[in-house]
Amino acid sequence: MGMYALEVQKLTKTFAVKQKKAGFKESVRSLFKPQWQVKEAVKNVDLLVKPGETVAFLGPNGAGKSTTIKMLTGILHPTSGDAQVLGCNPWKERGRLAFRIGTVFGQKSQLWYHLPPADSFELMSRVYELRRSDYLIRRDLLIERFELGAHLQTPVRKLSLGERMRCEIAVAFLHRPQLLFLDEPTIGLDVIIKQRIRELIAELNREEGTTVFLTSHDPGDIERLCKRAIIIHHGGVILDDPVDRLKREVLKYKTIRLKLREQEQQAMSFRMDGVSAAYEDSCTILLSVDTNVTRIETVLAFIVEHYTLEDVTIEDPPMEEVIKHIYASEKANLLLGAEGE
Amino acid sequence: MNNRLLLKWKKYEAVGIITLRHQFAYITDLLLRSVFLLLILYIFIQLWQAAYQGDADAVIAGFSLQQIIWYLVFAEAITMAKPPIGAKIEEEVKSGDIAVRLIRPLSYVGFHYMSYMGEATLRFFIHLAVGSSIALSFMGAPEFGSGLAALFMLSIGAFTVAFMLHMIIALFAFWLEETRGLEFVMQKLQFTVGGMLLPLEMMPEWLQRICAWLPFQTVLYFPAKMAVAYDAKLLIPYLAIQWGWVVVLAVVVIMTYRTGVKKLHVNGG
Repeated sequence: MGMYALEVQKLTKTFAVKQKKAGFKESVRSLFKPQWQVKEAVKNVDLLVKPGETVAFLGPNGAGKSTTIKMLTGILHPTSGDAQVLGCNPWKERGRLAFRIGTVFGQKSQLWYHLPPADSFELMSRVYELRRSDYLIRRDLLIERFELGAHLQTPVRKLSLGERMRCEIAVAFLHRPQLLFLDEPTIGLDVIIKQRIRELIAELNREEGTTVFLTSHDPGDIERLCKRAIIIHHGGVILDDPVDRLKREVLKYKTIRLKLREQEQQAMSFRMDGVSAAYEDSCTILLSVDTNVTRIETVLAFIVEHYTLEDVTIEDPPMEEVIKHIYASEKANLLLGAEGE
Repeated sequence: MNNRLLLKWKKYEAVGIITLRHQFAYITDLLLRSVFLLLILYIFIQLWQAAYQGDADAVIAGFSLQQIIWYLVFAEAITMAKPPIGAKIEEEVKSGDIAVRLIRPLSYVGFHYMSYMGEATLRFFIHLAVGSSIALSFMGAPEFGSGLAALFMLSIGAFTVAFMLHMIIALFAFWLEETRGLEFVMQKLQFTVGGMLLPLEMMPEWLQRICAWLPFQTVLYFPAKMAVAYDAKLLIPYLAIQWGWVVVLAVVVIMTYRTGVKKLHVNGG
């Protein structure tokens, strides 16, 4: 095996998508003369990931994240380009690679719906050809870590989404994968469970050196878990930076959503450096805070002092905003003739 | 080496067992389906009684009334036991759940075969029990002799051939969006030239000759006929023809799969 867990060169995947206009006549026409449009889901993606790294692979819906993961796990054959995953070519050596990687799909369950998770653990121990004694020790460790003891004998269909996701991730760790692909593992979960799941994955990364490759369209996923972020948009990589830098430069904006109790307060305007306000409706104000200029705590303190609040939440900017900022700062860099690091 | 093979076998065995257990969740559904069997058998008992003019000793094409009803019980039990593999694979492709199968160190076709057999086992025994109780109360039990043992021996091959036939069509889902049309044709072929409604002996000569060259007879006709009219001389040839078809069809399945999996577009996020 080389020095990289993941080595990807010019990976490209195009799909031919049938085009059909609305209406019966068009349906008939498309039957005899289908119109195809080529869609580039992933184009020329280059990646190098070292063993033990935690990488967040970010992008809005439809950016090509899942398609990339599917190629790297050998499920999809690329149109062109090359990849080595733990020294294997994923689409030519899928079977061999499968023993060494793990996967979690936030939107697809890998557990047997009508059976308790214990049965899925059992099946996976067979599928990955684990030695009986090793399996039992490993299973008990994961049950304890993921606090699954109480749910192990409950049919999966009766578990909450959070409980189920903990099971899904624990099962993925069962065969000690060297590389774990997580495709939107926190989608649909509430904040506290999201945080818990991120911590668990981070712990296992530290202790077992598992390389983590995570896709998400939630910027919050990367802060706790990942050291490096790769952002992909329209099928191509537009940023590959340490998370620290990303936080400083791109994720510095936070959104505070204020719900006011009384309507007349809207007259008050917000004057603070690095803060811009917009009204969503007569009672809701959205504040965009540049945390490099003004700390979020300062803004909150000001709000509590001056407003009667119904509710307040702090949000990360949506992925689309983050990408806008990246494009904007790239343009600025180009104009200034500044060089990247 | 032996150890490796054992591990491999254990893996596929585990798939069969977990599917069987998973199926127990659908047991009410299965029992409800078997009500349909009750209806079918009742109608056919009436029909055949008319054909035999109520004569318990009459023989048509080598079958007595009692034998023909039991033939129907066995053929129906096998037909109704066949899991809807086409619908399952089409659904996996449409929803993108196929991804979860393909990332395992497990053959995709092998997984579905064991899962098919696990599911078929439970369904077969339920339908067999329901069908037998009806036939028993209307017709009584004939002298099966070694027929029942032959039935079980030939059932394994029968379900395997059925799996292969339906799997070939199911795999077309890798290219086509809908496979139900083909599936429908395949099912009707088994009902007719496969000998579900009538044992092949009751068909015209020329059709019988065609049927002999088709795989369909090995699914329903072989096991059901041997169960009611056991013939020791035919057991080995029947098994040989059945497993011969298994080999031929397995090659087609594997080739279709290998070509298809490269074309596959895995849907969904």
